[in-house]
Amino acid sequence: MTAYRPRILVIDDEPQIHRFLSPALDAAGYEPIRADTAAEGLRELARKAPDAVVLDLGLPDLDGKDALAKARAFYAGPIIILSARDRETEKIDALDMGADDYVEKPFGVGELLARLRVALRHRLQDQGAEPVVTVGELTIDLVKRLVTRTGEAIRLSPREYDLLAQLVQGGGKVVTQRQLLTAVWGPAHEQDVQYLRVFVGQLRQKIEPDPSAPVLILTEPGVGYRWMG
Amino acid sequence: MIPDDPRRPDPDALLAAHRPGRGRLKVFLGMSPGVGKTYEMLRAARRRKAEGGDVVVGVVETHGRRETQSLLRGLEVMPRAPIDYKGRTLLEFDLDGALARRPALLLVDEYAHSNAPSSRHPKRWQDVEEILSAGIDVWTTLNVQHLESLVDVVWKITGVRQRETVPDGALSQADEIELVDITPAELRERMAEGKVYLAETARLAADRFFKVENLTALRELALRRAAQTVDDQLMGAMKRAGVEGPWAAGERILVLVGPDAMAPALVRAGRRLSDMMMDAPWTVAHVERPNARPASTAAAQKLREALKLAEQLGGATVVLTGDDLVGSVLDYARRNNLTQIVIGKTRLRRIPFRRTLITALLEGTTGAALHIVTESSETESAAPVVRRALGPVAWAGHAGALAIVGLAGAVAWLVDRHVESANLAMVFLLSVLVSGLAFGLWPALLAAATAALVYNFFFLQPRFSFVIGHPADVFTFAVFFAVAVATGWLTGRIRDQSRAVSRRASAISAVLAATRRLSAAAVAQDAAAVLAEQLAAATGAKAVVLTPVGDDIQIAASSPVAETLSAGDMAAARWAWEKGEPSGARTGTLPNAAWTFRPLQGVKTRAGVVGVEPSAVATEEGERFVAALLDQGAVALERAEFAAGAADAEALRRTDRLRSALLNSVSHDLRTPLSTVLGAATTLIDYGKSLTPKVAQDLLVSIREEAERLNRYVGDLLDMTRLEGGALVTRRDWIDIRDVLGAAVERVKRRLEGRTVDRDFPSELSMVMADASLLEQALVNILENAIAYSPDRTVIEVAAYEDRGNVVISIEDEGRGIPTTELERVFERFRRMDEATDRGKGAGLGLAISKGFVEAMGGRIAAASPIHEGRGTRILISLPKERQMPGGLL
Repeated sequence: MTAYRPRILVIDDEPQIHRFLSPALDAAGYEPIRADTAAEGLRELARKAPDAVVLDLGLPDLDGKDALAKARAFYAGPIIILSARDRETEKIDALDMGADDYVEKPFGVGELLARLRVALRHRLQDQGAEPVVTVGELTIDLVKRLVTRTGEAIRLSPREYDLLAQLVQGGGKVVTQRQLLTAVWGPAHEQDVQYLRVFVGQLRQKIEPDPSAPVLILTEPGVGYRWMG
Repeated sequence: MIPDDPRRPDPDALLAAHRPGRGRLKVFLGMSPGVGKTYEMLRAARRRKAEGGDVVVGVVETHGRRETQSLLRGLEVMPRAPIDYKGRTLLEFDLDGALARRPALLLVDEYAHSNAPSSRHPKRWQDVEEILSAGIDVWTTLNVQHLESLVDVVWKITGVRQRETVPDGALSQADEIELVDITPAELRERMAEGKVYLAETARLAADRFFKVENLTALRELALRRAAQTVDDQLMGAMKRAGVEGPWAAGERILVLVGPDAMAPALVRAGRRLSDMMMDAPWTVAHVERPNARPASTAAAQKLREALKLAEQLGGATVVLTGDDLVGSVLDYARRNNLTQIVIGKTRLRRIPFRRTLITALLEGTTGAALHIVTESSETESAAPVVRRALGPVAWAGHAGALAIVGLAGAVAWLVDRHVESANLAMVFLLSVLVSGLAFGLWPALLAAATAALVYNFFFLQPRFSFVIGHPADVFTFAVFFAVAVATGWLTGRIRDQSRAVSRRASAISAVLAATRRLSAAAVAQDAAAVLAEQLAAATGAKAVVLTPVGDDIQIAASSPVAETLSAGDMAAARWAWEKGEPSGARTGTLPNAAWTFRPLQGVKTRAGVVGVEPSAVATEEGERFVAALLDQGAVALERAEFAAGAADAEALRRTDRLRSALLNSVSHDLRTPLSTVLGAATTLIDYGKSLTPKVAQDLLVSIREEAERLNRYVGDLLDMTRLEGGALVTRRDWIDIRDVLGAAVERVKRRLEGRTVDRDFPSELSMVMADASLLEQALVNILENAIAYSPDRTVIEVAAYEDRGNVVISIEDEGRGIPTTELERVFERFRRMDEATDRGKGAGLGLAISKGFVEAMGGRIAAASPIHEGRGTRILISLPKERQMPGGLL
């Protein structure tokens, strides 16, 4: 069986990371491409056009954010960031600059591969966007701007709907607070995080099966929200 | 913004109304003793107490009267503080006790009272000021005759001169004045009934004082003063409310004073005029004429006192400079829109060869009223006779001028004998010119007069007589005399002016020199030393400079060095520091101190306090020099403090950088191995079945390696913490270095990867006293470092030998070596070279730990690099050899 093996470019300066990631990716049905520096990574990115990129932000030769900006200049595919928990701002900046998702070190291989799958699926959806999203009993019609549960319409305010649409269109990847605020309230409100808290709370009341234990809209503390539908 | 909108509330008025944290002052004002002020105050206090107010009696004089004493019952009365003065114990108001008790309202009788000489303040109103500043309300009592600006008036009315006075400012800052008023007749009645207490001495003067006319006049004063305060409050309210109205009288008063006994009277007159004109702003001016002879020290002192009095009474002071007194005054008056000018009549006699000051001012003044105050007999008699004494230098000048004229006469005599009809007048004119240039104005004028007489006597026909024969000679003589006087006048003035200029230039250059030295001082300590030295030189007295240390101040420098201050002097210095006002000798606060302290006010902060032990009365110029010195000194100290602050901030930043390096290291060095362990383990769990055995084995190996790396790192951190925390306990024992080295090499064996270790040990080696496990760890760290920084298939050489009293261990690698600039820093924490090979990447703690351990055992550690052909690093550890081997071992 010669199924298509998506190529994943891993850019990390720690040889130990490649040491386990390469066999893991290989075993999961991907074709790993190894790069130890940002320069090498960018070269491989241009040459081999991988289906997705795993990028460590702490590279010796170039700041992770600069590497990301350079990659984004010519590469539109999913990029997943490897980052440490205490580098919050770095992580958020990277997401705002066009990274698709992030995984915190240390991480289990399963988690990274799950994020990778979401990112790859999202790219496929982008090419022919789904106008109707269904999660269990919940249906969101992005064309008619209609949200129903078992056929019954759920009344959402225009802002609540916009917020939900942004999250759903994120397709499982994290959407940062700034991205949500800018898209729903406008660039002047990109610092008004309290709006998000209030509106996300209202949305959960209306669409979550159990609003106190949300499963559809997950909070990524300090970073943003993620649609898990 | 409209700059001067008259309807806008005056911001000063608003500020004055809300003095935050300041207590309110109420004054019970009366015309004379016996009107019942204290009685009234106590009754009001009882009412307040009954309403639940926290009222405390600070001090009240009942003078043994039963009525008043009975009012004290039920009120909290503070005990008085005993003050020792010349062997006697005086009971005074306890200021510190009152501040400690902090009542809402404090009763302090007799505002004008003078405290015992060793009290903190000489006057009770100053005590009250301090209590008000502490936020405590005060009620007090005052007789109108004790007001400073009314001293002259009261003296004229009653013939009694008040010694206990209160500055008008102390009354006008009262938030409330209650007039305690009875008619003079009533008062006389009460006196007759014995209800008015009078001290024995006062009883003698009583008849003179308590005349109905006097009392009526005093009552009028009291009524007016109370009414004026009501006016002020009304005006204040109007200003605050922004009410437009006739309150802006627009009057501005200038009081002209000179260095004479009239000055204080003039200042008081100015204050009264200002009162009459609804508190018109008033300025006391003194014109300093560079060409005038300096006033006597006593007169200058009088002038300074008058200017100080003006400030106490709430006036502004200004010193104008200019030879033309009238011109300077009129110019200043015009520029400042002054409408009222007050001058004294004695100044009439002060200007020779000119119109009197009064006429000149009258002619020159436009739009201003002129007030002329005449001398009273008292000031005349009290005034010391200020006569301009001619000092020895002046006498020498006059004698010199006469000698020069004599010389001119001799020359003229010789010329006359040999030359026919020579113009001898020119010779004499020359003598006048020379006298003027050499000795100044007055000797030149003397020379002119003498030259005219000598010329007339010896050379005009008939000779040897003052009679002039020829009518033509009369003309010649008249012209000669006029030219001589003019010449003398002009040259004398030129000479005096140039002298004055050079005097001022030297004063300025002294200030400049001091400034230069002060600005050269980079450290506060240096600036303080320079300031003390310059101050001592300028005043001819001892000087100290105190700068803040924590919450307190301490002597930073003194001249002469190592000067100390008594506890009392320190108290005065602290006062000056805290309040920002002068204190100590010759000031209003703690005048019993031996030193005078002045605050050093910098641009933004108070930089410290200077103290001078006053000796001679300072001259005007010296005083100005000192003032300039203090300004410069304060700025220099402040700058030095800022610089020190910047250095501290820099040190803090460096600490911060170290801390962030530590965080970085912990974050990176702990997480990277964990990532590998977790990643490899999850790979094995999730995909173990589809991995080849070789790959699976490699993942397992990587887990073990990274776990070991993690363990080493945690061990390093623990070791470091033990070192830093001072918790390192060394268990020293007799050890053989060779054994420890062998064990250390064994421990790193697995990580050698193709590198070989050469051992070079002597067969005989002294034992050392050391902690085997600490030394082994130190050596392991060094070996690991050698492995990390050297390529595969190279040699690491380990050697031990004896050198004088020490046993030395040497570990050499064949790596790239360490740049000379980094050699000193390799033992610092978190120092790590960029070029470490993959596996060896450590936290940069290893060598720092080695150093800590070695030094804890009394040894030393050093690095050398390069050692062979630009490569290689050698680490040397030296431990002291024990001289005494325990007998049992031999």
